[in-house]
Amino acid sequence: MLKPLSTLEAGLVGYAALHVYAHGNSAISVEARSVRKAAHAVVESVERSQALFGEKSVAISQIATLANECAEAGWDGDEAAPINWMAADTAVQFIRVLPDNVPLPEFAPEPDGSISLDWIQSRHRLFSLSVGSSNRLAYAWLDGSDRGHGVSWFDGERIPPRVVAGILEIMNHGNIAIWS
Amino acid sequence: MATLPSGLDEIVAEDEDLARYLTSSSQFNALMVKPAAFLPSPKDHETSVFRHGSEPQDRLWAIGVEHAAGGRNLHGVAICKASHIRAAQLEVIAEEPPPRHAVIRGWPFSETDPKLQKAKQKELAAIIASNAELVRR
Repeated sequence: MLKPLSTLEAGLVGYAALHVYAHGNSAISVEARSVRKAAHAVVESVERSQALFGEKSVAISQIATLANECAEAGWDGDEAAPINWMAADTAVQFIRVLPDNVPLPEFAPEPDGSISLDWIQSRHRLFSLSVGSSNRLAYAWLDGSDRGHGVSWFDGERIPPRVVAGILEIMNHGNIAIWS
Repeated sequence: MATLPSGLDEIVAEDEDLARYLTSSSQFNALMVKPAAFLPSPKDHETSVFRHGSEPQDRLWAIGVEHAAGGRNLHGVAICKASHIRAAQLEVIAEEPPPRHAVIRGWPFSETDPKLQKAKQKELAAIIASNAELVRR
């Protein structure tokens, strides 16, 4: 008689085997269907995590490309400072710890060597955050006729809640309050 | 009204177009020019622009290549009205040479809290960006 697989057992069995288990079509018992359903859920979770990790890898690659493109002073044709390596490092860490329910941002160089992380819903609805050489993040938003700015600490392990709320408010245009 | 060597009036009119040249494709997306493109230089606290609209394009790009690019490739240009910049409580001042050059001045600066200063600048830059037109090269 089949028994439900624990997460640890699923890990030991291996993803490939679990995939076969999840998509096998020979079992017809209630228990087998339950197990197959559970395995399918695990497979979906793993694949979703892999997809997210893949997207974050792309974002991290974009940071590296940007830092390389703007590695020299005057990259803007004027007096811009080169992208600060600490800013790039912090931006990467920010992406790594960004919650899965928060969309990934676009990146832009700033003339003081910081990196701008931008969540752009439309021309008049955006959230923009600067990552520089310190652990304080400067941010600003436009939400129609409403606008504001703020500063939050980033410890490298957790995105400040008000930053997450601000991003989701703009991108979801929901009812989450922004703390100004 | 006084006239500059370029032949333009000394005072930048409200309805004048201003061009901000873009040297990175990361400074814009399909929707708009990003706010970072308008942030001031950390050295002189000003944003360099040129008094020119989207047309004629051959002259627009010629100005950019000769006076703004600094040898870098130009990926596009953001066109905005002087009135939009002034609506963000910033100044637009003609500053020649080079010909047709102007600066956006009056960005908030705070020696005591540079990050708060930066946040305020980003808000104003976002306002300008939201009203700017992107011309791709």
